[in-house]
Amino acid sequence: MVRRPFFWIIALVIAVFAALPAIGNNVEMRESLVLACVYITLASNLNLMLGYAGYINFGSIVFFGLGGYICVWLVYAHNWPLLPSLLAAGFGVSALALIFGLGILRLRGHFFALATIGIVEGVQAFAENFSPWGGSSGIYISPAVFKPFGGAAEALWVIYFAMVAVMGASLYLSYGIKSSKFGLGLLAIGQNEDAAAILGVPTPFYKALVYCISAFLPAITGGLYFFKSAFIQPSDAFDLTLSTEAIVICMLGGQGTVTGVALGAFLYEELRGYLLTSPTFADFQLTIAGVLLLIIVLFFPSGLMGFIYSRFPRTQKVLE
Amino acid sequence: MKRLYLLAAAAALIATPAFAQNTITIGFTDSVTGPLNVDSLGQTRGYEFWRDEVNAAGGIKAGGKSYKVKFVSYDDESVGGRVQQLYTRLINQDKANFLFSPYSSGLTAPAAVISEQYGKIMIDSGGAEEKPFEQGNKYLFMVITSATHYLSGAIEALKEKDPHAKLAMVYSDDPFSKDVLAAAAQQAKAAGLDVVLDESYSPSTTDFGPVVNKIISSNADAFLGGGHYSDGATLARQMHDQKANMKWMSILVAPADDKFAELGPAALGVTVPSQWEVQVSYKPQFGPTTAQFVKAYEAKFHAPPDYHAASGYTDGMILQHAIEQAGSVDPEKVTAALNAIDVTTFFGRIKFATDPGHHGLQVGHKMVLAQWQMINGKLGRQVVWPTEAQSANLLYPMPASK
Repeated sequence: MVRRPFFWIIALVIAVFAALPAIGNNVEMRESLVLACVYITLASNLNLMLGYAGYINFGSIVFFGLGGYICVWLVYAHNWPLLPSLLAAGFGVSALALIFGLGILRLRGHFFALATIGIVEGVQAFAENFSPWGGSSGIYISPAVFKPFGGAAEALWVIYFAMVAVMGASLYLSYGIKSSKFGLGLLAIGQNEDAAAILGVPTPFYKALVYCISAFLPAITGGLYFFKSAFIQPSDAFDLTLSTEAIVICMLGGQGTVTGVALGAFLYEELRGYLLTSPTFADFQLTIAGVLLLIIVLFFPSGLMGFIYSRFPRTQKVLE
Repeated sequence: MKRLYLLAAAAALIATPAFAQNTITIGFTDSVTGPLNVDSLGQTRGYEFWRDEVNAAGGIKAGGKSYKVKFVSYDDESVGGRVQQLYTRLINQDKANFLFSPYSSGLTAPAAVISEQYGKIMIDSGGAEEKPFEQGNKYLFMVITSATHYLSGAIEALKEKDPHAKLAMVYSDDPFSKDVLAAAAQQAKAAGLDVVLDESYSPSTTDFGPVVNKIISSNADAFLGGGHYSDGATLARQMHDQKANMKWMSILVAPADDKFAELGPAALGVTVPSQWEVQVSYKPQFGPTTAQFVKAYEAKFHAPPDYHAASGYTDGMILQHAIEQAGSVDPEKVTAALNAIDVTTFFGRIKFATDPGHHGLQVGHKMVLAQWQMINGKLGRQVVWPTEAQSANLLYPMPASK
């Protein structure tokens, strides 16, 4: 893997993300890239399910929200430091995903998609009624938690670098799985699950495993995101819109590709951010975003990467 | 060579705007899209109305200078992460001197993480929860009464009219309504009133028949509860249809809407806690009276102002007053002036808590209680509590259903 150019392309992306805002202490750029990191992480991990194994997961936001809750709750109620809280969030949510996954992955197609929405609703209802998590009004944490980092200003930088690291890990994870036997098995499941099973792919185990793996990094990102906000409440943590956005990003970028999904997420967020703050477009930013989506769906049905691959066939060898 | 000098001179002129107007930039985000867009609009109108009036009157005068007010605002899509991004931009790129809060407590908390680290004053009129004020923030100030005191007036009034009233509390299962009613239950107990029913319902409930039966069989005299418009209105209608014959009904939110009059006789006598109503008659120490505010607002927007508009306007007015008192736009001096403020405006009294555990929380302003009464043969709201702001007497017991 290390000898392939794509490995170094990812390394370069991480370095650029980390270095660009740090040069000249550019906090506005940092805040914009934070959201891009969140989108890239969510979309890349969703891509493991959606793009590789061909299972539409509307509930990927559950990982993000639950991770956020576990991390914020450990910091708030148990005074845990950030790092162990994040790891607890990651492993805790992955373990839950494995249990859920063994149950709902018996379903296929639309039924699976419906079940994932059910999980979002169920977990949200749980959070709304679980009083240690503040019920429906959520948890507010004091900015004093930023003190160990030297204050809120420094903490936001630490959180940013952590988010870049998680984003980088997501890209390597997507790439690593794609070029492994496990990844081939998943792609086979995505093509035809019955045929894959007959050919010896342990489908139930692979599916549960990928569901569990795709929960880990989003949970950590959720922890970082809500720690940064110093606030979490059920309607933000389990917002189905973000799930849907992640699916749209995968489709736009080119599901099943590492580059396409990441690039799609990055462009999606930067475009939204630009339209929101541009004096020319701010008043009708949703219209513009809608028209752009329509153009992409109509003229580039196989996504951004499909377009790039067909125009520049050589890129197929370099960009996964 | 001469030309070069001229060019240099011209460049210098452009670079140093010696005659430039002093301006104060105020930054904020509002939820133009997303679930909070309706509530956010009134507040934004209040801000803009204040800005236009101040600028028309020559700006804010402080330390011998006068400053025009300039706004920079963005749509935050009602999303916390976006709020942090945009407030960072407002402070660093747009160089905002002061900030207004986004709409809702859930968006104010993330915004405060940013504003506090830059020491920027942020005035809040859009989130009524107390928790953001218990986190040790130094530059966050709220002009409206917090959720905990929404029904304090109702409890006080009820205690005065009937010290032995039995209360039924039935409310929507959302954070705001739960906070309000939990606090009201405590205040009722402290006042010696008996709470005989305390229940919540799902915000999507459409049939309150069983709930109303429960209220009737609890033998309560007074009802407190509700949540949002549709559930509150349905509840009031069904209470009337099933002849619950309460002596008192206080419902959150729904009766504050003029549409509530469509309920006809079911609306009569219902009370609603409100931050502000067009009838309140406080004697302002500065700024417009309620009548002047309402008249000018209606002339501009062709609709009567709601309390979001009035509190948004008050945000600006209080900031202006603090800057004028401080005689400076220096954030520390203005913060000190805000900490010391204790004034009455058309919106009511404004005073901020200064103890570190609740800094910035509103402790001067009181909710008013409005009651639906017949005014010249038509249903309308009258302010009935507190007595210093009232426009009519409280009807107790409320007119019986026939």
